[in-house]
Amino acid sequence: MSDVLRVILPVLAAVGLMLTNGVVLIYMLRKVLGHLHLRLGPMHVGWHGVLQTVADVGKLLTKEDITPNNVDKALFFLAPAAVFVPSLMAYAAIPFSETWRITSLDTGLLYTFAVLSLVPIGVLMAGWSSANKWALLGGMRAAAQQIAYEVPLLLSVLPIVMLSGSLDLVEIVSAQGGYWLGFVPRWFVLHPLGFIASLIFLVAGLAELNQTPFDMSEAESELVAGFASEYSAMKFGLLFLSEFSNSFIISALGITLFFGGWTLPWIPADWVAHIGPIIFMLKTYIGIAVFMWIRGTYPRVRIDQLMSLGWKRLIPISLSLIMVTGIAMKVVESVRGVS
Amino acid sequence: MWGAGLINGLRITMRNMLRGPITVMYPYEKLELPERSRWAVRSKYFEDGDPRCTACMACVRSCPDHILDLEVTTAEDKSKHIDRFSYEVGACMMCGLCVETCPFDAIEMSHDYELAVTDAPLLSEDLLADVDAASAKRHRELKAAAQAAAEAAAPSSAPVADDAAPTEKGGDDA
Amino acid sequence: MTDARDIATEVGMLAPEGTHDPGLPPAGIRRAPEGVDGLTTEHLIINMGPQHPSTHGVLRMIVEMDGEEIVSAEASIGYLHRGIEKLAEHRRYNALGTLMDRGDYVSGIHGELASALAVEKLMEIEIPRKADYLRVLLSEINRIASHLVWFGTFGLDTGAMGQFLYAMRDREFLVDILESITGSRMMFNYVRPGGVLADLPVGMDAQIREFSDGFDAYLQEHHELLGGNEIFQHRVKGIGTIDRDSALAFGLSGANLRGSGVAFDVRRDRAYSAYDDMEFDVPVGSTGDAWDRYMVRMEEMRQSNRMIRQCLDGMPEGGFTAKVPKVLRPPAGEVYAAVESSRGETGIHLVSQGGDTPYRFHYKAPSLAVLQALEEILPGHLLADVVMIIGSTDIMLGEIDR
Repeated sequence: MSDVLRVILPVLAAVGLMLTNGVVLIYMLRKVLGHLHLRLGPMHVGWHGVLQTVADVGKLLTKEDITPNNVDKALFFLAPAAVFVPSLMAYAAIPFSETWRITSLDTGLLYTFAVLSLVPIGVLMAGWSSANKWALLGGMRAAAQQIAYEVPLLLSVLPIVMLSGSLDLVEIVSAQGGYWLGFVPRWFVLHPLGFIASLIFLVAGLAELNQTPFDMSEAESELVAGFASEYSAMKFGLLFLSEFSNSFIISALGITLFFGGWTLPWIPADWVAHIGPIIFMLKTYIGIAVFMWIRGTYPRVRIDQLMSLGWKRLIPISLSLIMVTGIAMKVVESVRGVS
Repeated sequence: MWGAGLINGLRITMRNMLRGPITVMYPYEKLELPERSRWAVRSKYFEDGDPRCTACMACVRSCPDHILDLEVTTAEDKSKHIDRFSYEVGACMMCGLCVETCPFDAIEMSHDYELAVTDAPLLSEDLLADVDAASAKRHRELKAAAQAAAEAAAPSSAPVADDAAPTEKGGDDA
Repeated sequence: MTDARDIATEVGMLAPEGTHDPGLPPAGIRRAPEGVDGLTTEHLIINMGPQHPSTHGVLRMIVEMDGEEIVSAEASIGYLHRGIEKLAEHRRYNALGTLMDRGDYVSGIHGELASALAVEKLMEIEIPRKADYLRVLLSEINRIASHLVWFGTFGLDTGAMGQFLYAMRDREFLVDILESITGSRMMFNYVRPGGVLADLPVGMDAQIREFSDGFDAYLQEHHELLGGNEIFQHRVKGIGTIDRDSALAFGLSGANLRGSGVAFDVRRDRAYSAYDDMEFDVPVGSTGDAWDRYMVRMEEMRQSNRMIRQCLDGMPEGGFTAKVPKVLRPPAGEVYAAVESSRGETGIHLVSQGGDTPYRFHYKAPSLAVLQALEEILPGHLLADVVMIIGSTDIMLGEIDR
C-alpha cells in the first residue's frame, strides 16, 4: 500500500505545485511588469492584489465555454490537454534537492527535453482547429518556432553533459560543487564554455516559451491572442497555465544546469541540507523574474528573423561549442595525464 | 559590440523601476486641478444667494452645440423670471465659450469632473430653476461700489494678475 | 418571426437555402497565378479590422497575403468620420478651434492655429508679437507631446512595452503644463483668431523651464532604450522605404517627407507666427526607411525643446490678443493657411461669403496622403512589418476621416 502511495503522492504534489505555480507566477508577472513600467499592477483584490489570480481563476472556472460552429471539434477539445499534459510530465525529473524529486531518472535531462518537444503539437492543434485565420497564423508560427529552437536548446546543453559526465540532473548539480581558486563556485555559468552555452540556452529557452522577444505567435499588437484566440474559460486557462508552467521548467533547468541547483556557494552543505527545495524555488523564481525583465524591455523579433537566427546562427554556434568542449576536455585530460 | 544596446536597455528599465511608480490611485488619491481647468458649467451667486444671471441669452447664442437653453417669463415691469436654465451636461464639450461670453460673470467652469451617471435623463441638468433673474441695474450698482472701494483703499492701481485674463476679453462690445 | 438569417439572406450576405455551392473556394481566398512547376497556391485575404490593438485609430486594412508576404493592401477608412467640415459651416469663426481640436486630437494646438491663421489672413488682423510667441511656445510643447505618443506607440507596434509608459510619464508633465495654461488636457480651445485665450499663469515659466532642463536627458534615455536596441534596429532599418520621388508624388509632408530626403519644413520655408525669430535645425533623412523617419522625429523633439527655451527667453511684453469683435464676419473671399503640425502640413482652405459662418471649410490632413503611399509600399513586406510601417508614418485617423 505504501508503495502505491509513494508513487502517487509525488505526482499529486507535482500537480499541486504546477497549479500553485501558475497562480503565483501570473501575479508575479503582473507586478513585475507593472513596476518596470512605473505602475503598480493589481492592488485592490487582497493586500496589494495577492488574491487577484485567485479571483481570475474563479472567473475562468465559471465562464461560459464557447465553441465556435466551424471548429474541428475533436482537435479543439484535445488541444489544451495536449499542451497541458507534457508540461506536467516535465516536472518528473526536476530535482528540488538531493532527495526531493518526483522520481530519479538516469536520463532526466533527455526525458525533460523529449517531453517538452510534445508541446508544439498541441499548439498546432489549437491553431488549426480554431476556424480563424489569425489563430491559424499564430499556431503555425508557434509550431515552427518551437520545433526550430528545440535543436539549439538541446545542443547547447550537451557541453554541460560532457563536462559533468552524466544526463542525470542530480549528478550535474553535484559536478558543480567545489571551488576554483578556492572561492569561485564551480557553477557552469562561470566556466567560459558554460557561459556561452548558458547564453544560447537563454535565447533558445525564451523562444521555446514563446516569450518576448520571441512571442510572435502571441504578438498582442498583431494577432490579439494568437493560437488561443478562440478559446474561452478553462480551456484558455489550461493553455496559459501550461505556458507559465513551461517557464518554470525552463528556468528550473537553467538553474540546475548552470547555477548549481539547490546549492548555495560558500555556505556549508549541511547548513542548507534541509532548506534545499526553498533555495531551489527561490533561484528558479529569480530566473523567471529575469525572463519577465527581458519581456518588459525588448521588442519582438520578426518571424523570418527568428527562424534565421535559430537555424543559421544558433545551431552552428552550439555545434562548434560541442566540438570545442570536446577538444578542450581531451587537451586538459592529456595535460593532466602528462603532469 | 553587438548586444551592448540590449544590455543597456535592461539597465534603463531597471533604473526606471527603481525610480518608483508614478501611479495616483484614484479614487483614494486625487490630483488637484489647475485653476483654469474647464469642467462642468455651474451658476454663480451673489453673497446673499441670489443668482447673478440676468437671462441676457448671450451664452445660449454662443454655445456651438446649442446645449444651453433659457426659459424666461417677463413680467409687466420688465423684470425677468427664469423658469428653467437647462444644460445638457452629457453633450457639453467644456470649451468655455459660454463663460467667456457672459458679461455678468454669472456662470463659471467648475472643477466638477465626476459627472458619470447611471441614468440617462440625469445627463440633462438645470443650472437654475424657478428663480428671479438678477437685474442689470443691480450689477451696475455692485460694480460701481466695488470700484469706489478699490479707489478708496489704494490710490495707485495695483497690477492685474495674469490669472484675471480669462473673463476679460480685449475688445467685447456687448 | 424574422430572425437574423432571414435578414442576412435579404440583404445578400447569406446565400439562400440550397444555393451555396461548396465547390467554390470560400470568399476570403483568391487563387494566385500559376507558379513554378504548375503549382498553384492561394492567397489569403485578411482583414485587419477597425477594432485592432495596433492601428492608430480605427483604420481598416484589407491585405492579401501569399503566406506571410503581402501581395496587396487596401485601406478602408471612414470609421471615425464625424462631419467636421460640414459642422464647420454652422459654427462661428471663434468656435472653429473646437472642431479642429477634434481632428488631429493629439496636436490640437496646430489645428487651432491653422484655422486661426486662415481667419486672420482673410480679415487682415495684426496680432501682438507676444501672442505669436505664446502660439509658438504651445505649438512646440504640443509637438513634443505628440511625438512622445508616436514614440511610445511605435515601440508598442514592434512589441516593446517599457518605452510607452516612460514616454507617457514625460507627456504627463507636458499635459499638466498645457492644462495649467489652456484649461484642458487635450481639447485646448486656446488659439483664437486675434491671438490666444490668456497669458501664461504665474509660475508657469519656471515649470516649463524645469521640464525643458530635464528633457534632453530623458530623450537620450528613450533613444537608448528603443533605438539602441539591436532587435529594434533589425526590425526597422531598411523596411518601409519611400523613395524621394514617390514621397513628392504622393504629397507627403512633415517627417515622412523629410525622412525621404526632401528638406521642406513649413516653419522654415513658409514661416508663420514667430518662427522667423526662432533658431532651429530641420533634420532630414537620406534613405526614406522607417529608421530615418524615427531618427527625424527624435531629432525634431530635441529641436522643439530648443525652441521652447528660445520662446521663454525671448518672450516680449504686450497683450495676448488683438481687439476683435465678438462675432467675426470676414469679408467674402478665400484663403489657404498652413502650419507644420506634428504630422506634416495641416492646411485650412477657407471660403467666406461675408456671413458669420464659413461657406466652405476644407481641412487638409497630412495623414491622408500617407495612406495612399502605404498601399504602394506595403506589398513585398511581411505581415509583422505592416503594423510597424503604419506606426512609423505616424498617421492619425481623426484627421484622415474628419
